[in-house]
Order: sequence, then structure tokens, then C-alpha cells
Amino acid sequence: MSALLHIRSLRKSFGERRLLDIADLNLDAGRIYALTGDNGSGKSTLLRIIAGLEPADELNMRFDALTLNGAAYPDALRRDIIYVHQHPYLFHSGIAANIEYGLKLRGVDKAARDAITAEAIDWAGLSSVMSVQPKRLSGGERQQVALARAKVLNPRLLLVDEPTANLDRAAREQIVALLRQTASDNNCVVVACHDREIIDLPGVHKLHLEEGRVTGG
Amino acid sequence: MELSSAIAESFRLLFSFDAQLWTIIGVSLKVSLAALLFATPFAVALGFFLATVPFRGRRACVIVLQSFLSFPTVVVGLVLYVLLARSGPFGAWELLYTQEAMIIGQAIIAFPVLAAFTLTAVQGADRIVRETALSLGATKLRAALTTLFEVRFAVMAGLFNGFGRVISEVGCAMMVGGNIAGLTRSIPTAISLETAKGEFAQGIALGMVLIVLALGINAALNYFQGEGGMK
Repeated sequence: MSALLHIRSLRKSFGERRLLDIADLNLDAGRIYALTGDNGSGKSTLLRIIAGLEPADELNMRFDALTLNGAAYPDALRRDIIYVHQHPYLFHSGIAANIEYGLKLRGVDKAARDAITAEAIDWAGLSSVMSVQPKRLSGGERQQVALARAKVLNPRLLLVDEPTANLDRAAREQIVALLRQTASDNNCVVVACHDREIIDLPGVHKLHLEEGRVTGG
Repeated sequence: MELSSAIAESFRLLFSFDAQLWTIIGVSLKVSLAALLFATPFAVALGFFLATVPFRGRRACVIVLQSFLSFPTVVVGLVLYVLLARSGPFGAWELLYTQEAMIIGQAIIAFPVLAAFTLTAVQGADRIVRETALSLGATKLRAALTTLFEVRFAVMAGLFNGFGRVISEVGCAMMVGGNIAGLTRSIPTAISLETAKGEFAQGIALGMVLIVLALGINAALNYFQGEGGMK
């Protein structure tokens, strides 16, 4: 299996403290990874650096055929790598508009957008809350929208940050089910979590972040 | 004139569509709206720039901008007067005592209000608004515009606030407009003049228009904020 993402070196410090010091990390297509580690171990920072949302002190990585070595993070890479926040932000413009936001950016025509969005709404089980304003959705529903918003873009690498934190059991189960369905042979999903329901899922590969280094995989 | 008869007369002037009175209202609205139209794009751009782009001296720029919020409008009028007077550097343009001069003055007065509201709104927007847009594939420019769109109701509050400030200011309008009847006489300058003459009816009528405008602006702001998902 070929690595979709290969990090040759990644370093990140905050002041004197070196948070991340990764020498070698492969993420393969067709896999779901559970990234574990103590609070403050740098899980979110690692995902955010891979997604280009935070600069690293040193970053040498290859994504598919693209090598990134000290250069500015290319906008094109953000089309393939999507990061979902722990507390996703939903634009004020309605649930459907949120889901189709990325499609619009990619120039997908309205008819196709509508069809893809309708399918995603159905997939995420959002039909019953479509008339609710995004800010009034529960934490679980916000995650559902965020996952649907990411899924419609078919990201090659989906990075999901603590998606089940602070959710009740029913919402957690729903999010876990959606995450499983998000993975395919062509993409890779990395979920930063403490949730045993995700970590212990069959077929999930475990990564552990400790003292700046990642083990497992 | 007694107060009660002045009020009665003011209603008569308003509802008989007194030409002189409604010309004053028209001049005020035209000048104020034109000033806002002129100032808004630049002020919003500056506010957004200061909120999002770190650079050396940014803090000083923010302090200067915020100081201009309390800058007396009469001083703006004075500076503009010196610049536009026949002997001033822009005297050849012959703008003094014209609506254009009033528009320039009011645009200068509205500018810091609009820029400061935008600055505060964008700074107050959660960092993940921009990050979410970027992560979904937006370019930096598009992500910036998305952030601005998300805080549009706070920016709109600045717009209404700026309108309230310019339509009721008297110092600059009087100095660079000259309070010429039918040309540069606006609501506040007319109120000032009529009151000085002891003619309260027109002043009261114009005052009522200002109050109605203030109520209308606040009602509109509340409505839009409600529509903006703040229910």
C-alpha cells in the first residue's frame, strides 16, 4: 500500500517546549487512523499543521506526488486535505449552504450542487433539522453538518479533531457511524480522539502521540 | 411662539409637505448617504486590514483610528475649510459651500466609525471562521470575504451608527456647507439657524424627522440582526 501522506520531518515548538518532533510518519489511503495522546500532547496541532492551518518550525512532507519542504502551504493542497474542528463553525447561512460551501468554491454547478447536498443531508441524517438555524443545532448535529460538508468534497485526507468529545451516547454513535462511512479505498481518515468507540473499531489503525513523537500505524 | 403652537405648526409643516422643509430633509439625506457610500468601501477595507494583517505599527494605527472616533466634527470642518478655501491648496476646485464639500466632510467623519466597527467585528469573529473557509478550499481572499460576510451585521451596525453621526452633525456641515437655503442647508444646520431666530416650529419639525430616522435606523438594525441568525 502506498503512503498518501509521508512526513519526513515535522518540528514545532512553543517557546522552549518542543511539542512535535516527528521524523517519519506514513498515512496510507484506504485506512482510518485513531490518533491518541494526552491532552496537550499536540494532536490538534499536528492535524492543523498537516491541514496548513498552522505553520511548523520545520516541515518536510510529501502528499501524493506533491512535496512540501519549507515552501508556503499551497492552496491546492487544501482541496485534498480537510480539517474538521472539534467544535465546528457553521456559517450563518443555513445548513444546506454550509454543506455546499466547498462545492461552490470548486465551481460545481447549481444542479449538481443541489443533488450532492440533498444526498449528503440524507446521508448525515439531517433532514429533520434543515429548517433550524445552524447556531441552534446541538453539538452532535453540528458535527453531522461538518462531516457532511467535508464528505461532499471527497477529500483525499480527512482530519477530524475530537469529533465525539462532550457528546451524549446517541450522538457519539451516530458520529462514529458517519466516520466509518466516510472512509473509502481512495481516502484516508485521521481522527484525533480519546473515545474507545473509535479507537476499538475494527480495522482502525492506532497512532499514539507522546513527547512529540508518533508511534503505531 | 408658545411651545404648543410651535408643535402644532411643526406638524402642519411636515404633513402639508412644506417645500422648504422637505428640501432641507432631502439635502440631509442625499449628503449623508453619499458620504457613507463614498466612505464605506475604504473604511471597511481598512478595518478588515487592521484586524487581520499583523504589521509593525499596527497598534499605533488602531489607537489613531479609535482617537478619531471622538474627534470634534467642527475641527474636521475647520481643517476642510482651510483646505478648500480660495487661498487653500484645493481652493481652485471651488468646492467650499457646496454639497460636495459637505459630502467630503461627512465621509471623513463617518470613516473612523465604520472602520472601527469593522475592526472590532472582525477581531471578534472566531478564528475558526477563517480556518473553516480555508480548510474547505477557500483562497485567503475568499476566506477573508467569508469572514467579513459572517460579521456583516456588526459591520452594518457601524454603517447605521455612522449614518446617525453624520446626519445629526452640525459643525462641519455649517463650516464647509455654509447653510445656504435650498443648497447646503441640512437638518441640523437648519435647526440651529431657526432656533437662533426664535422660529421653533421648523426646528421642532426637523427634530422630529431626526428622531424618526433614528428610530427607523435602530428598527432596521434590529430586524437585520434578527434575520442574521441572532434570534
